[in-house]
This record gives sequence, structure tokens and C-alpha cells, in this order.
Amino acid sequence: MPGPAVAVEEVTRVFEPRRKRDARVVALDRVSLEIPQGEIHGLLGPNGAGKTTLVKILSTVLVPTSGRARVLGHDVVEEAREVRPIIGIVFGGERGLYWRLTGRQNLEYWGALYRLSGGETRRRAQQLLERVGLLDKADERVEQYSRGMKQRLHLARGLVGDAKVLFLDEPTTGMDPLAAREFRNLIGELKGEGRTILLATHDMVEAENVCNRVTLIDRGTILATESPRSLGRVISRFQRIDVEGADQELLTRLRTLPGVQAISETDGSARIEVAEEGATGAVLKLLVDAGVTSVKTSLPSLEEVYVHLIGDRGLEI
Amino acid sequence: MTALASTANVMRHAFAAGIADYRAIFTWRSWVFGWMVRVVAQVSFFGLIGLRVADDRSAFYLLIGNALAVAAQAGIFSLNMTTTERWAGTLPLLVASPTSPVIVFASRGAYLAVDGALSAVLAIFIAGPLFGLHLPWPRVLAVIPLTGLVALSAYCLGTFLAGLVFRFREINGLVVNTTYVGLMAACGVNVPLSYYPQAIEWLAHGLPLTNGLLAIREVFQGDAVGSILGHAGAEALVGAAWLTLALLTFNRLASRGRLDGSLDYGA
Amino acid sequence: MKGFLAGLKLEMRIIRSGPDALLPLFTAPLFTIIFLAIVRNGGRHDLQPDALMAPVLMTLWWFALFQGGNLITGDRWQGILEWALAAPTGFASVILGRVAAIMAFGFIGFFEVWGVGELVFGVGIPFEHPLELVLTIVATMFAMAGTAVVFAALFVLTRNAYTFTNSASFPFYVLGGVFVPIAILPGWIQPLSSVIFMSWSADLLRGSLKPEHIHDFWGRLGMVILLGAVSFAIGRAVLALVLRRMRVTGELATA
Repeated sequence: MPGPAVAVEEVTRVFEPRRKRDARVVALDRVSLEIPQGEIHGLLGPNGAGKTTLVKILSTVLVPTSGRARVLGHDVVEEAREVRPIIGIVFGGERGLYWRLTGRQNLEYWGALYRLSGGETRRRAQQLLERVGLLDKADERVEQYSRGMKQRLHLARGLVGDAKVLFLDEPTTGMDPLAAREFRNLIGELKGEGRTILLATHDMVEAENVCNRVTLIDRGTILATESPRSLGRVISRFQRIDVEGADQELLTRLRTLPGVQAISETDGSARIEVAEEGATGAVLKLLVDAGVTSVKTSLPSLEEVYVHLIGDRGLEI
Repeated sequence: MTALASTANVMRHAFAAGIADYRAIFTWRSWVFGWMVRVVAQVSFFGLIGLRVADDRSAFYLLIGNALAVAAQAGIFSLNMTTTERWAGTLPLLVASPTSPVIVFASRGAYLAVDGALSAVLAIFIAGPLFGLHLPWPRVLAVIPLTGLVALSAYCLGTFLAGLVFRFREINGLVVNTTYVGLMAACGVNVPLSYYPQAIEWLAHGLPLTNGLLAIREVFQGDAVGSILGHAGAEALVGAAWLTLALLTFNRLASRGRLDGSLDYGA
Repeated sequence: MKGFLAGLKLEMRIIRSGPDALLPLFTAPLFTIIFLAIVRNGGRHDLQPDALMAPVLMTLWWFALFQGGNLITGDRWQGILEWALAAPTGFASVILGRVAAIMAFGFIGFFEVWGVGELVFGVGIPFEHPLELVLTIVATMFAMAGTAVVFAALFVLTRNAYTFTNSASFPFYVLGGVFVPIAILPGWIQPLSSVIFMSWSADLLRGSLKPEHIHDFWGRLGMVILLGAVSFAIGRAVLALVLRRMRVTGELATA
């Protein structure tokens, strides 16, 4: 079936305040987006950017104030009934599960809600528990699950209806790096099965690693849609290196290296900011040759990435 | 600060914290139209049964008994203190602190005893006249401190039970309700103590409410002050005994909790 | 239908998983003892059926009020509500299934009361008019279920559901004539009581346990069913309203 999996047209969502003195919140402001079938599309933005609001609208749980959105051709407001069976929703966090029931019981319940027959429900639950690696804990109460286990159960639950389109909202929040990596592998597998995935996240590295395209969103507005490569380029370009015990002479030499943008010092430690690909390597080499080994590199923050990306784009226009 | 002064200080703060919690649940409006309406209805429900079964005297008997049962009921709610602490994540912090948790719990929930006594007294003064109960002034005022005593002594039982159930998360509501309905059954609230087998009557005297209720019934009947004071003294003794038991067992149970990990920071 | 069964199964599991949900089943025996003791102590053995039916009604009511009322707010609190709404199965049928499970558990109270009456006092339930008893019980449970749906929907709207739960027990027992028939209550209360299905149910239940002919049984049964149906209708309407409002204002996640 041709046509995009998800089509968002000028969607705006405003939240009216409960009390007169509170401000009204514009969570989404004329957002437009199109996701072709089979794509993993990242929705990258800081907390409060509007990612969850968009996911809620697309999953028919929230009504847009204006604008339209369609999932596989069906309008999310007018044809909510047709949309629900074809989507799967996964979100991170502690809540969203009946904590007194076991993982298996939770899955079987959602299976029934997604119109599977009794036998199918049990089979599907078994398959999914195996797939997300929860089979040995399947018959323990959710209240005893770790954060990572709950998240995996959320993913299983999102898949229970065998949906073609999946919405994942910050699914790896709070997961340890190993668990997060396994999770991402799972997402890659899902893509291989021809599913379309919208992944809302504030983790740039995750967006870069997993997605075909990434849309940047901030304060309810879409800023840009990038390929992960450009994202990755920005991320690696604007790294910083924190150093302890480098003397002034060394720092002066560092300043002269191409790509080193600025060095700031505080109490014996220094922060070196680079603005070019490859510059990090040269800086590290210099430091190590000089015998300085107390070194830490870190990536730019999401805000900085935005500034650099959008700033560049601004220049292009 | 001396040990006594610092304990008093802790109690004062805990009491204030309790009241703040209470205010969060009840506004005066919801207390009056929510809680008090229920209390008056509860007392009247039994008063009506009294009328149906026999006559006015029966109605008054049930009315007074059940009003005092409300005081005991509120006192027993102190059992829930541990749940509140657990959900706030403060339980392990409390156990780790130098102050005995019992003192904190006891003070934190003390507002419940006050609330219970107030509700019960109001119930008598509101529902009583509705049923034509004659309130013998001025001696009826003695009901006020006696009700306070019942509430406090029930509260001590609640504190003791709190220590027992504190390691089991899910049975609080169960124990609270079963206990206070149990008190309603056994303590001479609805039928005289003599109605039950001797063993139960003995047991009842060791529970809160029983002795205090006898004292209050005697106030209404105009019996001798000595007898009334005797029953009141028994009630006070019962309360003190439960509190002592609470103090003794609580610390042991807390340490058991530390051993088996049932005290956690999260919910 | 799938939604109904899914809800039924879910609620059964939830209730079985936590003893506190079964609270009324623990206090029902105690209330049975209290009520029977009162009537027997007063020498009124003719009122024993009244004493037996009161805790049955109280148990059913408590399940409807507490377990039923918190159906939706509980889900909301656990962060499940939004996703339940996004599921293909109609939300209303899931709620009905859950309410049915709740009523089934409530009905266990009947057997408990019977058992305690026999064991402790040697007093059984006198099946004077068995057919009428069964019909009344079925109609009563239907009406209770309808009330549970109303509570489930209303609790979402109010912040003070907890206070309401506490206050909605005994006032309803009085107005509903759960022990003492409303005919004994002051005249001005009667119109209010007659809108509460329990007053009709309680009268019929008591009547079916006594040898005398039951006056106008079908008319009164009809009132129970009618009031139950009205509850369902109101509950359904309020539910639809509440859910729609939540979708529009976005207040699904928090109270």
C-alpha cells in the first residue's frame, strides 16, 4: 500500500490552563511531518519539546486543537477506530502496567484488548516474552521488575497487536547502556520486518544510531529534519575534552591546534572545546604525548547541537 | 537538649506533620459534609435498629455504643501511619535516625485520636437529640474526656498493630477494618458483654473501648462516680499496656525489617 | 464481547492478587454476628432475616463503591488509562466486564453470611419464597453493577473520591433501608430513599425470607430493575462525557 505511514499536517495543540492565572501552553505549533512506510523516524528534542504530545495525538489519545494527522491513511480523530488496531504504543517509565499482575498476565490482557482470541493471546504473549528476553520472569509480579525489565515489557505490549506502525516514546529512559543497546537491536529487527517506527527521544546518540531520519523539535516547533549522518557529524565535531594537570605551556600549544575553538580553565583543570571533525584526535595525541592522562571527553548537549545545526542552516538560507 | 526535651521536640514536630497531612485530605467542608455526615449516619443506623428491635432505650444503648465505636475506629486508623511513611519513602530514613520510630509514629498520628474523640462527641450531641435522647447536664460533659480516653487507648492498640503489619504491605486496610468491626462486635457496643461467653468477655476487657464505654454508659445512667472512675482507670491501663507492647515489639520488628530488606526507599 | 471478557478476567486477577480488595468479605461475618446478636438479645427472632440480609447488601454495596468506583481512577493513577483508551476494544465493554467480576466477588458475601449465621447462631436463611429471592438477588446485582459504573465515571471527575468513598457507606445504608425499612424513617426522607434502588431491594429480600405473601412483588422488582437501568444509562453517559473531555483537555495522565 503506497502512501506515507504517518502524515501530520499543521497540527497545533494548545492546553488551556486550569486556573485563570496559569498560562496556556502551546505544546505543538503547526507541526507537519511525513513518515514513509518502513522508516524508523526519530523525533529528537529536549523534555517539554512536544514529542509526547505528538505521540499521544497520533495514538488517538489526544485530540489536536487544529490541523490533521493520518496514520496509514486514516484520520486520527475521525477514524480513530480504524487507527487503533493498526498501531502499537511503547513508552518508557515505571507506570502503565498493572503492577499486581505478572508480566504474562499483563500481556494477555492487552492481547485481549487488541482483539486476539484466547489461544492467540497466550501464544503471542509467549512469543513476545521470549523475544524481549523476559521469559524467565514472565510469571513474577511486575512490581518486582527492574526498570529495564518493565521497559522490555512495555515493548512487548506495544507489539502485542502486531502493529504495522509503532510509536515509541522515550523507551530507553533510565535503562543501563547494555540494556539500551539490546533494546536498539530489537528496534532494528522490527524495522527489518517492514514496520514503521516513530521514536521520540532526547538521546542524540540513540537517534543517530537507530533512525533513518531524525526530526528535531523544540518548544512545539519542528526545527529541521536531518539524516543521522549530519547529526553524527555535528555531534563529533563539537566535542569537548576535560583535562587535569595540564600546565600553561601545554595549553598554549593546544590553542594553536587547528579546530580548537576555546579553552577555559578552572582550578587546575581545563576544558578544551573543538569545532572540527578530527580535532579531538589531535588534541588527545598531544596530551598523551605530554604525559597527561587525566582526560575525559564528552559530547555536546542537545541544545548545543541545535544551535550548531540550526545556526548552519540559518547560514545556508 | 536533654533527652526528654528532644523527645518532646520530636513529638511536637511529628504532631504538626500529622496535622498537615490531615489538612491535605480534609477541608472543613469535606470533614463536615463528608466525614461527619457518615458518622452521624453510622450512629443513626444502629439507633434505628434499636428502635426497630425494641424501643427508645434500646436505641440509646446502640447509639452511645456506636458513637464510641467511631472514636475507637479513628484511633485504629493510626495503623495506617506506616503505610503513609512507606509511600513517602521516609520509613527507612526514620529507622536509620536516632529517634525511636515509635515515638514519631505515636505523635504523628495523635491527631487521629483527637479527630476520633471529636467526631464521637459530636455524634452523640447531634444524633442523640434526634432520637430523643436526654442529655443529662452538666454531668454529660464527662463524656468528653472519657471519649478522648477511649480514642487514645484505641490509638495505642493501632500503634501496636502497626508494628505487626509493617512488614506486610498489602494488608493494612484489611487489619484496620477487621479490627474496628471486631471491636464493635466484642466490646459491649451493640450487645452487653454478658451476652457473649465468659472467655470473650475477659478478652474484651483487655481491649480498648470496653471499659471506657462502660464508664460512659454509667455517666448517662447517673451511677456512682467511683464506679465510673474505676472503669476509666481500667481503660487507661489498657491503653498504656498496648503502648508498652508497641514500644517493646516495634524496635524488634524494625530490626527484622532491616535484616530481610522489607524497608525500601521506593514504594 | 472480547472487551467484556478481557475486563472480567483482568479484574478477577487484580482482586485475587491483593487481599485488601476482599476487605468486605472479612467484615461481613463480623457484621452478621453483630446484627444477629442485637436481634436475638432483644428477643426478636422474627427479625433474623433482616439481620442476615443487611450484611449481604452492605458487602455488595462496598464492592460497587470501592472497587468499582476506583476502576478508572486506579488505571489513571497507574498510568494505564491513556493506553487503554488507545486500544481497539471499546473501553465501555472492558469496564462492564470488570464490574461483572466485582459483583461476582461481592456475591460471595451471601454465602458467608449464610455460613456464619448457621455456624455461630444456628440460624439459617429461611427460603420462604425462593424464586422471588433469586430474582431479587439478580435484579439487585444488576442495579449494583449500574451503580458501580456511575461511581467509576464520577470518581474521575472529583478530586475527593477518597472522602466520598468513606462517606458513602452508612448514609446509603440508612437511606437505602438496608436493615430498617424506610417506612420507619421520617416522612421527608422517603422520597429520597425511593430513588435508591437498595430500599426496594432490601424490602423484597426481607419479604422473600418471611412466610407472608409478598405484596406487589413484580411492581417492586420492576423498580429495582428500572433504577438499575437508569444507573447504567447515567453511568454510560457520564463515562462517555468524561472520556471525551479527557481526550480534548489532555487531562488523562494526572488528576
